[in-house]
Amino acid sequence: MSKLSGAYYEINHMNMVAEKDQWVNQIHPLVKLVLTILYIADVVSFSKYNIAGILMMGIYPIIVFMLGEVSWKDSIRRLRVVLPVVCLLGLFNPFFDRQVVLYLGKFPVTSGMFSMVTLMIKGILTVLATYLLIATTTIEKICYALRIVHVPAVLVTQVLLTYRYISVLLKEANTMMQAYALRAPGQKGIHFKVWGPLAGQLLLRSIDRAGTVYSSMVLRGYRGEFYFEDRGKCGRKDYCYLVVWLVVFFAIRVVL
Amino acid sequence: MSHIHIDVEDVSFGYEKNKNVLSNLNFTARERDCIGLIGANGMGKSTLLKLMVGLESGFSGNIHVEEIPVIPQMFPKIREKIGYVFQDSESQLFMNKVSEDIAFAPRNYGMPESEVQVCVERALSMVHIEHLREKSIYKLSGGEKKLVAIATILAMTPDIILMDEPTIALDPKNRRNLIHILNQFNHLRIIASHDLDMVMDTCNRVILMSEGRIVADGAVMEILTDQKLLEDNGLELPLRLQNGGNHL
Amino acid sequence: MHMADALISPAVGGSMYALSAVAAGYSIKKIHLEADPKKVPVMGVMGAFVFAAQMINFTIPGTGSSGHLCGGMLLTALLGPYAAFLTMIGVLLIQCLMFADGGLLALGANVWNMAFYGCFIGYLIWRAMNGRTMSRGRIIGASVIGSVLTLQLGAFSVSIETLLSGITDLPFSVFIGMMQPIHLAIGMVEGLITAAVLVFVYEARPEMLSLAEAGEKKERFSARKTIGILAVIALFIGGGLSLFASSHPDGLEWSIEKVTGSTELEAAENSIYRQAESVQEKTALLPDYQFKNTESGLGTSFSGILGSCLVLVVCGGVCYVISRNHKKKGLS
Repeated sequence: MSKLSGAYYEINHMNMVAEKDQWVNQIHPLVKLVLTILYIADVVSFSKYNIAGILMMGIYPIIVFMLGEVSWKDSIRRLRVVLPVVCLLGLFNPFFDRQVVLYLGKFPVTSGMFSMVTLMIKGILTVLATYLLIATTTIEKICYALRIVHVPAVLVTQVLLTYRYISVLLKEANTMMQAYALRAPGQKGIHFKVWGPLAGQLLLRSIDRAGTVYSSMVLRGYRGEFYFEDRGKCGRKDYCYLVVWLVVFFAIRVVL
Repeated sequence: MSHIHIDVEDVSFGYEKNKNVLSNLNFTARERDCIGLIGANGMGKSTLLKLMVGLESGFSGNIHVEEIPVIPQMFPKIREKIGYVFQDSESQLFMNKVSEDIAFAPRNYGMPESEVQVCVERALSMVHIEHLREKSIYKLSGGEKKLVAIATILAMTPDIILMDEPTIALDPKNRRNLIHILNQFNHLRIIASHDLDMVMDTCNRVILMSEGRIVADGAVMEILTDQKLLEDNGLELPLRLQNGGNHL
Repeated sequence: MHMADALISPAVGGSMYALSAVAAGYSIKKIHLEADPKKVPVMGVMGAFVFAAQMINFTIPGTGSSGHLCGGMLLTALLGPYAAFLTMIGVLLIQCLMFADGGLLALGANVWNMAFYGCFIGYLIWRAMNGRTMSRGRIIGASVIGSVLTLQLGAFSVSIETLLSGITDLPFSVFIGMMQPIHLAIGMVEGLITAAVLVFVYEARPEMLSLAEAGEKKERFSARKTIGILAVIALFIGGGLSLFASSHPDGLEWSIEKVTGSTELEAAENSIYRQAESVQEKTALLPDYQFKNTESGLGTSFSGILGSCLVLVVCGGVCYVISRNHKKKGLS
């Protein structure tokens, strides 16, 4: 599967997952967004030798995975982007930080190894947390949450428009690439002579499309302002969800 | 004469100087007219539609929509009366959810939220797609997208509907459904299309354009059965009037 | 070059968020939406374009590998710096949510490293070279110089942010020695791709490249102003970071310790940690388990690790049983 069609599949798939009617999906998007950011900040700020604390933080993804009936398999696929970089950086730690802290049998364990492991766990947990957010909340809902906290309407609208047209343009780019590949068998990418024309064509088409989108907006009364649907405020359930998790995070922080 | 009508008087238009895309157009579209605007590629059909809603400006002559002149100051007013269905639904539908997209126009016109929802409901039911209300746009089929696009303009309760190639890229079943729905409307409709069979099924009047001029303007059966007239202007008889098989 | 959440501390992440937010706020003010409402759909669709274009593999002649488009430099030439910057924010946000490229905590940093330099510094270079006269050569020159320079700045920022976050023991000089040359090559390739696209646009629709100009004419984008803004921002980042760092063991102190040669293990042993030790001693499953180097606090935490694993397994098991029962009920 090519990168383009892979991305197309991924977006459609994530959207489908996020639209499921699970209990976690119905929690107010702002609560989930805030919780995710706090969780990530919390995980990341654990000391780099505190494996116990970091491990305990795994309780959040485990429970949300179960509550939201989110697929483990999908989430593991997503680790492939971040984990190599994090691991690579982590791998240096044992070389530079060689203080031996204990022996497992005859094998010396250094503090660098500890920090390597915590870094990797941090990498996994932060990616999982973001995944759980997007797997239970659609981008539109996240944008709605952003509006509640007064992120400017221009920015939010632009994100929504980009999101709307990603799948359209991925499809278009994929068709172009396929047409190219059929006439240039055996090439892995785009030959440098057609770098400009190929990407340029896509660019011009995108600009033209933007023109039509604008026309369509103008014909329907758009004058540079945006109105957002009110999708309800946080309820008691949402607050409870937030508070329970914050207590858990705090408890882990204090105890470990 | 009722108040719903469009008057086009001596309209000429060109993107470059001395190169007219449209020259000296004259016609009046009346209430309950359903006009098929036909002609070969690049003969100015879409351009004419765009002039009427002010998407292209700088023409000579006069266009009046319900007595309102089509000039920049009047664009917002005119656009409340005219719904324009683009050829490419993908560009016309720019929100992520069907109901949001349909609600775009009513919200822009300052309707209170409760009325907006009523408006969305009514638009959906007019094209029989109530079941698509909560769907994501990207999940819709081509036919569904076209119907949603029509619903988005119906939400503005226009008097007049302009359509650019509505049946393009629709499968036969969706095409038939669309024709059925178009026939239920009693708006003044102008449909630019190559699909002469669809024009035959939906329109009562045909305007044939060639090289930016109106070549013929008359009843549907009169023009669409005139093989010589059509062929002289780069068109062919509707498929159903052609001899069996030779249209392949 | 996307930074992951795990590579950044909340202090650095927060500061970078603040910086990017200031730049975004300023850009929103500057795009003059009232005068040109068309910018929003253009930004939206162009964001999607950048997204799709980033997925195209451009074969680098003479090598087996391929390069990619990043977008900042390209957008700034087409849309001007403000609209380009806002567009890139959208792209980066969606990337981090949908594709785990970057992260929510690191978003501010990523916006700064990739969008800010690419759009604002990139625009200065674009303006300097193509402001008055435009030609094929100038476009190629500006694209390559702009891409290389902005990527270098970005890579440098990544190194600094990683260093300030204190997550790697890699000496700064080694890290930066790795980052800069790699991004020199990436910048060259990206510059050439950007150039190819812009030259194509220049030949097909030259008016599009002057669009950005027309929009900014009212408010001239002056170098002096930009430098002023950068200076304020630099003060802000310095002040913000040192504030954070003073209360945060993983922040600047880490690098200071590196310099002074003291062991960073002391930093790990803060008061919470000592408290934790005492709690652990009382409750841990293996209270007598001792290691050679108990001073570091690592020894006792080993039993904590085992405890954590146990809790996780139990928790996972319980959840599994509950969800299985739940499903069974649903079926019957």
